Amino acid sequence: MTRLRFPWLFLSVALLLAAAYLFPLYWMYVTSLKGASEIFANPPTFWPRDPDPAIYPETWIRRTMPVFLWNSVVIAAGVTALTVLLGTGCAYVLARYRSGWIDVALFVILMLQVLPASVMITPLYVGFNQIGLLDTPRLAVILAAAAKAVPFYIVLVRATFMNVPRELEEAALVDGNSRWGAFFFIVLPLARNGILVLAILTFMTAFGEYIYSRSIITEPRYQPASVGLSGFLGPNSTQWNGIMAYSAIYVTPILVLFVILQRRIVSGLTAGALK
Amino acid sequence: MKLSTIRLWAGTAIAGMALSGAALAQEPVTLVIWSIDGAQGRPGPTDTFSREFDEMNDDIVVEYRALQFDEIVNETLRAYASGNAPDIVSFDNPDFALFSSRGAMLDITDMVAESDAIDPENYFEGPLNSVMWEGRMYGIPKYTDTIGVFYNKDLLEAAGVEPPRTWAEFEAAAEKLTDPAAGVYGATFSARGNEEGTFQFLPVIQMSGGDYSNVNTPGAQEALARMKRMIDNGWASQDVLTLGQYDSTGTFNSGNAAMAISGPWELDRMSEDAQFEWGVTLLPTFEEGGARSSALGGFNLGIMSTTEHPEEAFRALEYFAEQDDRLFPEFNYLPARNDIELPSSGNPAIDEALAVFQEQLQYAQPRGPHPDWQQISKAIYDAMQAALTGQAEPEAALAQAQATIDGVVN
Amino acid sequence: MRRIVSSLVDGRGFDILLVGVTMLFLLVMAGLPLVYNVLMSFQQVDMFTLGAWVRPWAGWDNYRAVLSQPEFPLVMRNTAVFVFGSIAGQFVLGFAFALFFMLRFPFAATIRGLFLVSWVMPGLVVGAIWSWMLAGDYGVVNAILSGMGLVDRPLFWKSDPGLSIWAVTVANIWLGLAFNMLLLSVGLAAIPRDLYEAAELDGAGAAQRFATITLPMMRSTIGAVLALGLIYTLQQFDLFPAITEGGPANSSNVAQYWAWQWSFQVFDFAKGATVSVMMLAFVLVAAAAYVWSTRSEVRG
Repeated sequence: MTRLRFPWLFLSVALLLAAAYLFPLYWMYVTSLKGASEIFANPPTFWPRDPDPAIYPETWIRRTMPVFLWNSVVIAAGVTALTVLLGTGCAYVLARYRSGWIDVALFVILMLQVLPASVMITPLYVGFNQIGLLDTPRLAVILAAAAKAVPFYIVLVRATFMNVPRELEEAALVDGNSRWGAFFFIVLPLARNGILVLAILTFMTAFGEYIYSRSIITEPRYQPASVGLSGFLGPNSTQWNGIMAYSAIYVTPILVLFVILQRRIVSGLTAGALK
Repeated sequence: MKLSTIRLWAGTAIAGMALSGAALAQEPVTLVIWSIDGAQGRPGPTDTFSREFDEMNDDIVVEYRALQFDEIVNETLRAYASGNAPDIVSFDNPDFALFSSRGAMLDITDMVAESDAIDPENYFEGPLNSVMWEGRMYGIPKYTDTIGVFYNKDLLEAAGVEPPRTWAEFEAAAEKLTDPAAGVYGATFSARGNEEGTFQFLPVIQMSGGDYSNVNTPGAQEALARMKRMIDNGWASQDVLTLGQYDSTGTFNSGNAAMAISGPWELDRMSEDAQFEWGVTLLPTFEEGGARSSALGGFNLGIMSTTEHPEEAFRALEYFAEQDDRLFPEFNYLPARNDIELPSSGNPAIDEALAVFQEQLQYAQPRGPHPDWQQISKAIYDAMQAALTGQAEPEAALAQAQATIDGVVN
Repeated sequence: MRRIVSSLVDGRGFDILLVGVTMLFLLVMAGLPLVYNVLMSFQQVDMFTLGAWVRPWAGWDNYRAVLSQPEFPLVMRNTAVFVFGSIAGQFVLGFAFALFFMLRFPFAATIRGLFLVSWVMPGLVVGAIWSWMLAGDYGVVNAILSGMGLVDRPLFWKSDPGLSIWAVTVANIWLGLAFNMLLLSVGLAAIPRDLYEAAELDGAGAAQRFATITLPMMRSTIGAVLALGLIYTLQQFDLFPAITEGGPANSSNVAQYWAWQWSFQVFDFAKGATVSVMMLAFVLVAAAAYVWSTRSEVRG
């Protein structure tokens, strides 16, 4: 593509778009710093009259956020591990062939996504109870949430495998590698970037898991941050600056991580394997 | 896959060990108690009393779980269906009949008859009715509340308006008090599409001569037309359709509404946030000296029929009832009892307001009790919202609700 | 035995094992709940039989009852508005932004990265923020609009029956834009540059290049994006309780939230299952479209 004639013009348009798009985030931070009466002020103030950062340590301690965030990390890590383990091989096979059976498999995988988590939770809860999984509630949530993450992961990782040249794999087979050998030593390394990126995205999505955790995890010491956040949304206690402070603490680490990693994420996906 | 299989086995093994451990040693009795107290990050009565009860009794261990208001009923249903039900649970009073009518709550009538701590005579009639089913008692009221009209004394004085006694006066006052330039609405209330909407609207139906099974009264139609007028003319914000009572009262506290329909749970926050003089008056009536009514709020406590420790659970209920006199001083809840004098709060505005709410409580009527209360409630708030958004005329909307309710009640 | 082992190591068995384990997992964790719901939609359910498979048979009663609800047409209309509005908005904006950020100007890749943050925001948090911004009286969206002179009185995004479904749709477009933009960027980057250069030499204009190169080369990506978008939009639940609760008067109620209301607000579990089974039809279309789009994939 040719060089643009006025690159700085495009840059300023891009910055404007980004500013508009990121405004909700800005509003989250600003609201968290406002006092109780300023929050309901009409018209709203775009910068807090009297910013009060004390809400952050207060929310952190009073809402036992370290515990909640640690549980979120545990659940997200479990979901990611299980998803990568189950999804990668399956996606590889589904990318390798072109047949009616593959179509059926893809179709079934997508159809199993039909129910929203909110209506799947009752049967899952009943089933988990029968096999005793409710005693290890975080594991139960990991299993349930992985079932939601796997199809998405398969569809996208499959696209990455499509970019791995078939000839390389066939050459490896001719050289005497087994299918396992070719898969592990040739194909996987070539698709590594895409897999890594999708693993990160799976982790980030699972970090916000809410519906399963809310019902399956009854003990506060095992609950993730999303359930902790819902503790604010009671009938008689919508403490908005607290909600926003909690949200900010909840998402800022992922946002920072994301901004640091984003170059790799985008290039990991866009570069495909070898292009 | 391998990893997860191992963890799965490990999980089952640990669960198995826990079971056999309980069978071997003579462990103290474990009581599981669920309520919404303490879920909002500050202590409430049930979690506090549960902890105390746990510490007082060596033979009993209390496992307390705080749930969200929206979740406690369906979490309990799911737990009950799968054999994990708690021993003691606390429900909003209209939800109680769903469980008591189906035998999911333990009949405590006989235990209460022999108890020194619990006497049905001591409870207000409305709250007591909500724990009764077919003449038997299935729980105890935990606390109660109701609604009235808060008003901004400064704004009313400036406009030369008296606190309203009838709904017509309420509307006229709202019109006079509205000041768009200052961002002030005349009145605010909650017409939200959930239980809160029914909570505020059902009293109006009741004072017009109807009740939950007879909602299409001329008075109710008139009231809906009036509310719609107030919204259309900008005397009340259109957002009353989605605001909960707490957020709605928040706009009153910040000075953006001159009157607010809300309840005693607001007193503390209001005395902190409101930068003006405020007062409370009874809910208006249709004509002066006309029939009064108000909403009856508050939670009940009951023992689930699946409990393995009914005696210990009842002892816990007795302990809770004995602490009723601490409800107001420590937690700002109104006890549902006629034998407890409320101590002065030290703030004259709050004490005055409490006197009004105490009077209002005499007119408070329970929602139900009916096992399918939520279906009835949905019909009522759906009708209210349909009329207020102009989807249907008040009469048609209420007729639709009446048809739905007839299907549920009969 | 030996044959099986060697097949696992080197033949068909290898493929079947990799797909089979995953399929088994999905069938247990997602298939069984699906069957449970389908079964329940033909049964009478109450709180005592939630844990059972066998319950009194109700035939098509639940379906008839759901279809005869006065709000049924409204909910279906809203579902269509929400799904198609969200997908159209996410896709068009996502495609436009993806194309824009393919241009070579300073920091293009870095700024594009900023757009992706909405992907990692939990729905619950996004719902809380948008609910707050869209409030009629003290909401910042109205303050901005009236500051720019676009409106002269506040718009009640959450409470006006004509706007409420759009309030949720706008929030959902914001939430889903990152996903669309990222996948479409990936697709765009995979198109060989020399195709464009050759077309340019042949004198093809920008619009022509887009129509003859970009779109056909992107067919499989677009299929995947739209199909996944449809499925994820139908799953979008968190925004509804946070922003409008389906109201006022069901004017922003959609099938997935309605199903939840039946089950967990009025405790009529069979009707909740019935509504969720009806949603099957939507996903059927999406899954078929996706599988069809994979037929045009080119293996690298």
